[in-house]
Parts: sequence; C-alpha cells; structure tokens
Amino acid sequence: MPRIVPEARATAAQCRHYAMCKIDYLGTGLCPSGPERHFVTYYPQGRMDLYRGLAEGRIPVTEALLDAADTCTMCGVCDAQCHFVTGLQPTPVMRALKDYVEEFRRGKGTVVHPVEDDALRHLRAIVGRDWASNDPAVLWTYADDPFPLAGPQMPRYVVLPGSREEVAAIVRQANELGLAIAIRGNGGSVFGFVFTDGIVIDMNRMRRIEFDLENWTAAVEPGVTSFELQQEAFRRGLRVNAAEPAATVCGNIVCTGTFSTWSNVYGTAADNFVDMEFVGRDGRVFRLNEKPGPNHYAFEHRVAPSPGICTKAFVRLHPATDDEEGLLVPFVDLEGAVRFARELGQRRIGLAVAVLGAHYIAGFLSPDEDLARRLKEALPEALGASFVVFAIGDRFARDAIRKMAPAVIDAGLLRLLMLGLPRLLEPRWLDLAREFEGGGRPFELLCRPEMRPLIEAALLPSPETIAESVPEGLRPLYRELYARPEMTDMVWLNMHRIVSARMSRRKHMFAFLVYLPPARLDVLREILDGFARVADAHGIDHDFGFLTPMDFGKRAILEYDYYIDHTDAAEKEKIAQAMPELDPWLDALAARVPGVLSLKYVFSQGCVRKESFLYRV
Amino acid sequence: MRIEHDALRKRRAARDSRILVTGGAGFLGSHFAVALLKAGYRVTVVVRSSKKLSARVRIGRLTEWFGLDKGQSGSLEVAEGDILDPGWPGTAAGAGPFDEIVHCASSTAFSERKRPEVEAANIDGLRNVLDLAVRSGCGFFHHISTAYAAGKRSGPCAEGWIEGGPFTNVYEETKARGEIMARDICRREAIRLNIYRPTIVYGDSRTGRTLRFNALYFPVKAAVYLRDIYLADIRERGGRKAAELGIRLTEEGSLVMPIRIEVAREGGLNLVPVDHCVRAFMAIFEDGLDGGIYHIANPKATRIEDIVGYGRRFFHLEGIETCGKEGFSGRAKNALEVLYDSTLEVYRPYMQDLRTFDTANAAPFLERRGLACPAFDYGAFSRCMTYAVDVDWGTKLLSP
Repeated sequence: MPRIVPEARATAAQCRHYAMCKIDYLGTGLCPSGPERHFVTYYPQGRMDLYRGLAEGRIPVTEALLDAADTCTMCGVCDAQCHFVTGLQPTPVMRALKDYVEEFRRGKGTVVHPVEDDALRHLRAIVGRDWASNDPAVLWTYADDPFPLAGPQMPRYVVLPGSREEVAAIVRQANELGLAIAIRGNGGSVFGFVFTDGIVIDMNRMRRIEFDLENWTAAVEPGVTSFELQQEAFRRGLRVNAAEPAATVCGNIVCTGTFSTWSNVYGTAADNFVDMEFVGRDGRVFRLNEKPGPNHYAFEHRVAPSPGICTKAFVRLHPATDDEEGLLVPFVDLEGAVRFARELGQRRIGLAVAVLGAHYIAGFLSPDEDLARRLKEALPEALGASFVVFAIGDRFARDAIRKMAPAVIDAGLLRLLMLGLPRLLEPRWLDLAREFEGGGRPFELLCRPEMRPLIEAALLPSPETIAESVPEGLRPLYRELYARPEMTDMVWLNMHRIVSARMSRRKHMFAFLVYLPPARLDVLREILDGFARVADAHGIDHDFGFLTPMDFGKRAILEYDYYIDHTDAAEKEKIAQAMPELDPWLDALAARVPGVLSLKYVFSQGCVRKESFLYRV
Repeated sequence: MRIEHDALRKRRAARDSRILVTGGAGFLGSHFAVALLKAGYRVTVVVRSSKKLSARVRIGRLTEWFGLDKGQSGSLEVAEGDILDPGWPGTAAGAGPFDEIVHCASSTAFSERKRPEVEAANIDGLRNVLDLAVRSGCGFFHHISTAYAAGKRSGPCAEGWIEGGPFTNVYEETKARGEIMARDICRREAIRLNIYRPTIVYGDSRTGRTLRFNALYFPVKAAVYLRDIYLADIRERGGRKAAELGIRLTEEGSLVMPIRIEVAREGGLNLVPVDHCVRAFMAIFEDGLDGGIYHIANPKATRIEDIVGYGRRFFHLEGIETCGKEGFSGRAKNALEVLYDSTLEVYRPYMQDLRTFDTANAAPFLERRGLACPAFDYGAFSRCMTYAVDVDWGTKLLSP
C-alpha cells in the first residue's frame, strides 16, 4: 500500500465542505479541472475527501480517482481560497494524493474499473456519458459531510443534469427504478441532510442567470451560487438578498428561505423571489404562481418535504444607491445592541442590520485564527465593546444613526482598524486601552474623528500590515487582496458574505436559528441562556452568532452556534447528547411565546410567505 | 473588646498572632504582607488564582520579586480564594482562626462605568472579609482605605469619619461607605479597628521599584507610547504622520510633541512612595493599638508642571505644556490632546487637588520612628521611570 502522510490526512479530514473552492470569490481563478468536469470530485474539496477516503480505507483506487489526482495541476489556487476562510492549506494534501497515485502506479496496483449497469446506462442516456457515474471514488465525494450526527452514506449513482428536461427525466427514471433521490446544489451540505443510497443529483452544470431588468428579476438555475448571482447583480448596480457565498440560490431558498442581515429590509422566504419552477416528485414541471398548483406559500408547522427539485428561481432584484456605506455601533451589552437594532428596524433606518458578538466580528475581520482569538478577547476587555450593531445605509440613514449612537465606527475607521489589526492587538497598546479610566469607553475615544491621524500613525494600516498576520508564503497574496478596496468595504463584504464563512475557522460550526420577537428581551435572554446551559453541560464550545431584525423590528432571526471538532468522535458524541435536550425546550418556548419558532420547521419550506410562520393567527 | 491591650501586646511580642492579609497579590497587600513577614509575624495571604496562574505560583513570583529567602517565603501561608465569592468567608474561616486581618483587596478604578466591579470589590468584598472577621475570632481589623474617602472638598481633611458625600468618583464613594461599614460591624462585634488612609502611592523612592503602573504612571506611559510611535514614523517612514501633527525631532534628539494639558493654577498631586507607606503602616500597626483613622500623606503636594518638567527631562520630550482654559481658545485640540484629555479626565481632580490631609493621629507614631515622607523630586521620578522602562511598564515583571 502506498504511504499515507499523517499531516495531509489530518488536513484532509478538516475540510469543512463549504465549497468555497467552487466559487472564484477571491478573483484568483478556480481549480482548473473543476469547471470542466463539474463533479465535486474534481475540486479541491473532492480531492481532500479522496485522500481521506484512501487513508481510512473507504475507497479503492479507481479510474476517477486517478483522473482526479492527475488533473490537479498543483497551481496553489486552493491554498488561497481555503486559507482565507478556514486557515487550511490544501496543497500538501494534493501533493500527497498525487504521490499516492504515483506510488500506486509504480507498484502496479489494480485499478477498479466500475461496471456500467442498466440503471447507469439509462441515466447516461438522459444526461450523456460524462455526466453520470457509479465510480466509488466519485460516489465517496458525495457520501459524507462534516455533519456530526450522520455517518457516510454511499449513493449508487451521481448524476449532473444540464437542463430542466433532464432533471424531469431523471426523476421519472428514479421512480421507475425505485431509487431515492437527493439533491446537492453545490455538491455538499454542512447540515448533512443530503445523503441517499440512491441517486445524488448534483446541479453544478445548470448555471445560467438571465436578468430581466424591466421586471426586477433574475432567472437563476439551480447550480448558480449566491456569490455568483450577487456578483452579477452588483455589476449592474443591483442587489439580491443572498445566502452564504457558496450556497446555491435555488437550494438555499428552498431549504431555509434565505435570510441574511439584509432581511431587515428585504425579508425572507417568499419575499426573495417572484416565482419558482420545480420538477415535482412525479417528474411533472410546475411553477409556484400557477393557480392550480399546490399551495407552497402556506406554512405547515412540521418537518415537511420540499415542493420538489427547483430548476429555476425568479429572484427579486433590489436597487442600490451609490452612497451606501457600512458602519458599526459598539455596545457594552447585548440588550443595548438589540434595542438599537430593533429601533433601526422600527424607524426604517438602514438596509442591512445585525447585532454581532465579539466572536463574529473578530473572525470576520481577522485573516488569521490567532489574530481572531486575540481580537475576540480584546474587544470586551480592552476596548469595552462586547457587541456591535452592524448597519449599511445611505448617507441619510448614516446621519440618523450617528445622531442616535454615542460612538460609530464608520467605513473609514473600520478600514484603518482592519488593515492595522496586528498593531491594534499589540500588548502595549491593549494595556493602555485596558487601563483607560475615562468616563467613556475606549472605543468611544477611538471613534472620535480627531483621533484619526493618531490611529493611522499607531496602526500603520496597510495591506502590508494586515498581511503580516498570515504565513509567510501567503503574504504576497494577502497584500494583493487587501489592496483591493472591496476587501475592506462593508457593503461589498456583506453583500458577498465572503468573510462570514470564517466564523467556523477554528472548529466546525453547528448553527441553531430561531425566530423571535426582539421586543421580548426576557425571551431572548431565556433562549441564549438555554443554548449556553445545554452546551456547558456537555462541554461544547458555544457563542452568540447574530441577530437581525425583520419586518420593521417586529420579529428577528437569531443564530446561536455550537462548535465542535468534527474529526473527534468524543466531540460528535457531545453534540449527539446535547441535541435531544434542545428540541423539547425550544418547542415549549415556541408554544408559549408568539413569534418564537425554530428554523428547523421552516426547513424545506423556504418558499412560504414569511407571515405564515412569523405570526400565528 | 474581643482582645485586651495586654493580651494583644503579648501575642504581638511573641509573634504568636496569625495575621490574614487580603489582596496579597496586589500592590499594597503584597508590600504589607512582606513587611509583616519580615517583622516576624505569622502571615497568611488571600490570593486568587488568575486565568493562567495558580494562587501559589503568583505568590511564588511575588516573593521572588521581593527577594525573600526560602525560609521567609516558606513561612508565608497562602489561602487561595476570592473574597467576592459569597461562600468565601465560610471556607476561609475553616483555615482560621485569624487574630488580625489586614484588608487590602480593593478596586482602585475611578470610572463610573466600572461602578459594578468597584462596588463588588469595595463593598461586597469588604462585607465578606468583615464576616470572616466576625466568624474567625479576629480581634483587630486593619482596613486599608484612602485619604480621598474625604470626598469632594477643598482645604484640610481630618482623620475622622466621613458620613456622606459629595464624592469625586465611585472609588471615593465606596471607600467612604466601606469605612462606615467596617466601623459599625467592628463596634458591634467589639473588634479593634484601624483605618489607614494613604494618598496616591507610587514606587519605591530609593529604588523606583513597583508592581503597579497606574495612577502616576499611566499618563507618562501614554506619552512614551506616543513618543515611540512618532519616533518610528520619523526614523523609519520619513515622518509624514508626525509632520501632520507638528511633531518633530530637535537637533539635540528630543521629540517635540505639541500637547497642551489643562491644569488649574493651584493644587497638585499628593504622592507617597511605597517604601514610606509601608513604614508608616508598620508604625501605626505596631503602635496604634487603640484603633483610629490615620492619613498616610505627603505634607507637600507635587505640582503637575513639575511632573511635566521631569518627564520632559527624562524622556527627552519637548512641547508638552500645562496651561489654563484660555490656552485652548485659539487652536482646536489635536489628536494627541484629545487622547490626553480623555486619559487625564478621571485624574484631573487629583492633579489639581486642593485637599490637604491632617496627620494629627498618624504623626506621633511616625515621629516616634523618625519617619518622614520623602519629597517627590526629579530623583524619585527618574528612579521610578527607569525601573518602569526596564520592566516595560510591567509587561516584563513577574514573568516566568
């Protein structure tokens, strides 16, 4: 057997399956084989899985495995993409995979050549020979996600349709064969819900976006990611309410209804689209706006199946003005921040609005985990700010916020702080801030406009300074990245959400989402305490995620996160034990307090009208 | 009284008294504990473990800093605990009995925003320690307060009880409230009570050594931090940022930093070096057996102009000037002045303090031992700042 490199194996096992290597979010270009071959197997994420599969003895060396290894050009693009969000550098894994294959060939090992059975023949007749596979190596890359509560499940086939008609034909074929179907929008799911022992349909080939500016919509196929759609909208001076960058637009709408900090003004669920097209379970194509169709706008308070396979979403486009900027309003406590965010919603001030904790802020701003850890400590301890209200607004909104808040970190100051972060966290400066005894908090002093020249002199904010915090080999890349204005622009960053993927850089994240009435601070506290209590009881790392007001501040969505090392069996066990304690408690709270609802009930019902689950009449 | 004069004297003379010192890892607490230990008393220190270090390791590092030999440090007992923990008096009583308690643990934060932590330390913590005193058979309670418990006033402050405000800040207020609480409980329980009221304590007047770099040190540290930023800007990056604020290097190598500090014409800072504070404490502790209130103060306050002058000379800093309100009328505050103004905001009442502190009660005990508070002159300043720079304002202190 060829040798397995332990370090490479450990790195491969840490792959978070965020599919960030499948979108060109840094402008570095993509792994060359991915866009050509479309199977996740040919992206860095797939190759990480292949190496882990070999190391664990889960897969043999197959034709596809050899091909996946051979088509890696060792260009290093994956290092940039992966490090930016997870801190991992996959090229040693790619090298190890290629070395493994080379050694295997030298040793004249036997390559597995999968046999084409009848079902595969039928599927290939629909999509073409290249786009359906039963190669174990390919199947393995669709068999396991870092979701701690589900083990790997090998599908029998993976199919990549190129059109709505092909999707319908696959569904009919699967029904005939009696095979289950699972849809993977972008090849993976951090929630672990998309495994099957039947057919995995990967939508990666259906990637068309058609803008209809007269009707303020973009018709989006199911392989299009949020980043790609937002990028195209942004080029046209427009905006969509988008999810995590690598999540597919259609998949995300169907799955969770798409919520983001922009949900403050753009809403969620059915607010995000004008119409959607589906292939039903019987292979029939239908639109949600058709009069005779089933009513998927109504919410059922149960875990319900999706309307079918979304083959097109007519996504709403929103206008943007050229004077929009972001700002942060620091707060000492969560209650103050939530009151402020809710007030912005009530008064219709600002566009994107969210309460963020030190964990998110530190993670988002820091290109390195150690820096993030130090910033997370420093924010409350030295600067006196445990929470911030993040808001994006035009100049009128920002003027209003400045009048409402004692201190504001505006776009210019945030840029200085981001680019000077390593200096901001120098012990000597932090000691001074910690010992600062003024009546106001240190951050209030920091926010004063007169202080700018001093901050510039002290922090030396520049792409060079921020790049000091990453490994030496990546510094030229980071210098180039941070020289781009968008990398420190809160509007661009929040629209494209590329830094929010950093929230689980330290450990895999397990997100809990709850709708709640933000006026009820007692309920908010009860929910936060409940999540914290259960996590502490099981020794799980946990933290507040974010809270965004919705529907004029009448409702809000809250994220609370648990963090575990998904490669550690003991950690998986902890979460398995914690989960059963959460549901009854949250269900009881939801029954008692109108407006409280766990997002798990909205799952697969993301096309519903938000009013049908936010309010109970 | 729980313990009569003669019995107290005898136990003290035999070095038989067990003395508990709270705040044993703090600035004054550690100094008093070591002084008592060196005088041969049986001392137990209450110390919290920190995030990174156990109580014992913290004390080990402190005894090393004080240069105690193995025998001395070995005889120092460590009672790990947090006086803020409601269960602490019960636990600590189990380690007793303690004949005397020296209560040093305190928060010296001034800012109103820190009120919860200041009240917790200076009121709730004190209540717990008094509770321990009641339970553990303590006969003499030594409460370290502050001369500034006198509150917002000008002119002479007597060594008497302060029954009400107004106060300059939460620190003064809680220290005054604490004194009254200690008085009431000690009276009720027939425990002897000494209240020690030092003014602002800085490093050792002879060596400059200290464990804390707040109060006097903080504004100086901030100036040095700014100096280093702009020196680097001038030397390494052409000085563009420095020039924006009119900062420049003179031919003699001094840095000119234009900072106007607003001060009143009268008043000054009352500074006591820690070595004198310790000697005064020991004199009162050993000889003041009847209980009382004692100021430990400098008969001569130091003017801010003098301290600025010392800093100018020591750190080669030009351009820092003191002025009245009128000094700001022509020109808006620059970034350095905004920072300095905010930094000094809470210290301002002490910088131009018109309070003077009567020492009628303390003076006889100090005079008996020939003790006089050293003046805060350039010599003392330079010794203190040399030490501060050597240990990088504390960051290199007590390191492993």
